[in-house]
Amino acid sequence: MEITEFITLLGNPLTVLTLLPITGALLLMLVHWLGNDERREMLANPIRYTNLGIALLMFVLATLIGLEEKFGMAWGEYLYQNCEVGAVSTGSCTLISSIGVSWHVGIDALSYPMVWLTTLLIPITMIVEWDAKKGAYFHSLILMMEGALIGVFVSLDLFVFYVFWELTLIPMFFLILMWGGEDRRYAAQKFFIYTFAASVFMLAGILVMYFNNDASWVGNITGKSFDFVLMDTSTNFIATEGLRSVVFLLMLIGFATKMPSVPVHTWLPDAHVQAPTAGSMLLAGVMLKMGAYGFLRLGVTLFPDQVIEFQTLLIVLGMISLVYGAIVCLGQMNLKRMVAYSSVSHMGLIFLGVATLQPLGIAGAIFMMFAHGIISPLLFAVCGSFKHHYHTLEIDSMRGLAHHSPWMSAHMMVGWMGSLGLPLMAGFVAEVAILIAFYMAFGWWVLLPAVTLIVTATYYLWSMQRTIFEGSGEAQLPPTMHGDEPRDITWHENTGMLILGVLAVVYGIYPDFFGMFEMMSDWATLLVENAIFPPEVNP
Amino acid sequence: MNLGALFSSTDMASTLIPETILLFGIIAMIIVPNLGNATFRLPIPGKAWRIPYFVGGKRFSFTSDPRLPSAIAAFTLFASFITALLSQMGEIGVADSCIAMRDGVARAGPEWCSGGSVILEVNAFSRLMEMIFTAALLLAVIANWDRLPATPHHRIPLKTQRDEVVENRRLHRLLNNRRQVDFALLVLMVALGMSTVALSANLFMLFVGLELASMASYVLVAFNKETKVGPEAGVKYFIVGSVASAIGLYGMSMLYIWNGDLSIASLHSAWTTGPNGMAIIGLGMMLVAFGFKVSAVPFHFAAPDAYSGASGPVAGVLSTASKAMGFVALMRVLIGITLVDDGSEWTLLIGVIAAITMTWGNIAALGSHNPKRMLAYSSVAHAGYILAGIAAIGALGPGEGSELIATAIIFHLAVLVTFKLGAFLVIALLECEGRGHELEHYHGLARRDPLIAISMMVFMFALAGVPPLSGFLSKLMMVSGIISSTVGDVSGSSLSDAMGSMSWVFWLAILIFINSAISLFYYLRICVVMFYDDTDRHLRLSRAPMIRIAIMLCTMGAVVLGFGVLADVLASAAHDAAMALFG
Repeated sequence: MEITEFITLLGNPLTVLTLLPITGALLLMLVHWLGNDERREMLANPIRYTNLGIALLMFVLATLIGLEEKFGMAWGEYLYQNCEVGAVSTGSCTLISSIGVSWHVGIDALSYPMVWLTTLLIPITMIVEWDAKKGAYFHSLILMMEGALIGVFVSLDLFVFYVFWELTLIPMFFLILMWGGEDRRYAAQKFFIYTFAASVFMLAGILVMYFNNDASWVGNITGKSFDFVLMDTSTNFIATEGLRSVVFLLMLIGFATKMPSVPVHTWLPDAHVQAPTAGSMLLAGVMLKMGAYGFLRLGVTLFPDQVIEFQTLLIVLGMISLVYGAIVCLGQMNLKRMVAYSSVSHMGLIFLGVATLQPLGIAGAIFMMFAHGIISPLLFAVCGSFKHHYHTLEIDSMRGLAHHSPWMSAHMMVGWMGSLGLPLMAGFVAEVAILIAFYMAFGWWVLLPAVTLIVTATYYLWSMQRTIFEGSGEAQLPPTMHGDEPRDITWHENTGMLILGVLAVVYGIYPDFFGMFEMMSDWATLLVENAIFPPEVNP
Repeated sequence: MNLGALFSSTDMASTLIPETILLFGIIAMIIVPNLGNATFRLPIPGKAWRIPYFVGGKRFSFTSDPRLPSAIAAFTLFASFITALLSQMGEIGVADSCIAMRDGVARAGPEWCSGGSVILEVNAFSRLMEMIFTAALLLAVIANWDRLPATPHHRIPLKTQRDEVVENRRLHRLLNNRRQVDFALLVLMVALGMSTVALSANLFMLFVGLELASMASYVLVAFNKETKVGPEAGVKYFIVGSVASAIGLYGMSMLYIWNGDLSIASLHSAWTTGPNGMAIIGLGMMLVAFGFKVSAVPFHFAAPDAYSGASGPVAGVLSTASKAMGFVALMRVLIGITLVDDGSEWTLLIGVIAAITMTWGNIAALGSHNPKRMLAYSSVAHAGYILAGIAAIGALGPGEGSELIATAIIFHLAVLVTFKLGAFLVIALLECEGRGHELEHYHGLARRDPLIAISMMVFMFALAGVPPLSGFLSKLMMVSGIISSTVGDVSGSSLSDAMGSMSWVFWLAILIFINSAISLFYYLRICVVMFYDDTDRHLRLSRAPMIRIAIMLCTMGAVVLGFGVLADVLASAAHDAAMALFG
């Protein structure tokens, strides 16, 4: 059977990728909830395997889509769309036609890497936290999360985009609230309220865009449409420059909070530290990328002039995040908190990469999203297993980890090396691309971010030296062990971390594996050529 | 107009089918529970011939059945709802019609809609509002089906154990259905009053309907007279409400002195030529009365006490149907009478009241630990959002943008019935075990009864406006209407120019967003205690099947009206209603 036939067997593959995990998760939770305690006991394991099976199926489907297209997605062309752009709100893609909401999905070179990353990470998070308490609900929530995340990446209708954007909060809220650390209640509430509050500003921006998106031929109440492609191709979309700036800033509030960038980052450390391992992995791996994705998709693609206008603001935000995150990391005593702040630092690089307005810089920023999406879940998985086996996250309480847990130490080292930008690791590619583009755009100002990367190396190497190697002769166990014999990580934790570690190295040596970097740089080049610096149109 | 005219004219009967059904329901409610085996002995000596006349004596078992009043009320409200729906769809009766007083005779029919003296007006707007009212009241009646005790001093034993003795005692206590009759009768009167408000095209009719509904609802609030808070709440609500009504009536009389006619069409044409000082003062006084009904700040003070003193379903009715009635009156007056093309006089006033109302409501809700008070304050905040929409209509004048905002308001009032009433019904379910008025009573609800906890979570998220629930869609339509009214005239090429040229109404939209974010805090608190905190009470919740049915209906409504085909249908219906409102 041809791959194409298989992909389209179930209908539109993107619709399947989005809705199957959500409905599957809801049904599995319902099945588990119905019936008595005995039946629940009996069903717990089958439900976990079903969840994992669906997640793996999604991964296969996403990979097949890539193989089918030879990883040749482009900019501005959305593959696997389920309806004609002009026919929004009618036919098969109608959703709430009276206000112009349509079920319109599509995928391009920006969203494909994110979708693939999501489908890859979900089974890994499930495997890593395979023995979670109340696993039936835990894994179902993760599966539900997958559908919502993919929905964010593939929906081309801004209403649906926003719905999925907020829908990701609900499973994550419960993951933190029910399975988190001691202070989980505070962290869950803060996470929910903070990100919700920020994204309503984005919604205000979306609404202004909506009312400038004419779709009067549909004949609905408002005569407008939420369709993104329509906005993108419209020639006079929001003609007033000042209004474009207002919309851009409103959206920036939403995206910068999600990324997160200083000064709206404070939800992140709390949420990360309290979240369960799988939750942190998804939070760092994919949820932070939603902010960057939204910024590139809506902010940069629709408002290229505003990116030029607010270039300085972006650089300042990026630099502050980078430097502040790195410096705060230096002083952290909590392992997970340190990794969380390193995420803030790395997300700053994305703003810098976009602000260069160079194809290489934007491609580097997208690759940073991807590389960080592989490396930071690895780091959080290590933190989680550390907490699991040593019952603490204090860096200072532990010496000579390598002595007791060689596997864990190895994964920790791979993760930290990748994160600090060691050559031949995925993080390095992204950093170098961004720094070269920064040099091309601003000359020797590149020294500012470059020097900060040294700080990154410092905090990683310092804590590595303290926890893993120091005192290897007479290893010091944390007091929380109460004299128990320490163990190494379990097989399922090891499996998940190995996959991530191998991928981090593979993408460092050959960034074009699965066509990823080429896809991204093509997208970035076409974006810069067509949108940011469009060719002069002869009158 | 005599009562005979109502039934002699087919036009009249076919115009007012839902209201006629309500009227018959009230009559049946008075007569049927009184039916018994009373007989009259013929005064013939030596003979004991008795003629039964049925009213009085020892009642039959079915007329003293405790479920009878609820059944009559539910059937009446359902029939009224369905006939309103069908007549709007054009299946029965007439879709658009009017009743006008001409030459001292009431005449019905579409041909009487023009030419003045219209007192009742049947169109898409009034029918949709009627459906909202009857739906809310129907849910409240269903929720009261099996939980109202027969006498004030008895509590229904909980159906926690399936013990025959307990069960019999429970039934025994319910045998006397006098109290249920009172309740159902009052609910039907509220329904009739609200329907009159929805139909009225004349301020006097509007006032009569408003008072009929209000008087009945004062009693409903105080219905739990065995508790300490019930009578206090009722009295407080009654005193403040009657003062507000009196002020409103005074304002109405000023309008009458000014114009000599209280029909809305006549007042509107007079207003477009320019009101004088007396008319404006009259309008302001009427705003006080309607402001109390919708619980806008500063007329909201009775609301939290009334809501927390009333039983759950009654509080739910107050915060949905009663509030919707207030907004119908407000829209009839502000949009029907005083809306002019370029900025109505009251725009800024309503805008300021809206801003204060939503902020005050949310901040007060943050500090309340009684969930009923919390919901009451959240209801104040929701009134603020709707008032912001009305302010935007005032700034915009009649036109497409205003119709969109009115659509959003009507849509919001409709979906409010699902999630606001639903939240109060969950409280009602907890009230069955004598709890529900403290946050602690919600601890661990997810363990005690997951389905109810998930429903409550859906209601809370819908109230906060989390997608994809119906609360999100209604808030989105509201804000998009407000934004649409302001983006058109933004000019300037730089950011500061654009900000400067933006109308103040735009900031009202932003304020709604900020308030939604604040409100999330206290809605989330309920979700957190339900799922996170542990409880010392590990019993299942009481069975109360009818409340559960009502809650499930509300949950389904809150979900399906937010996304997909049904949301589309309701939005279109609301748009038709808005078009009818603007005429």
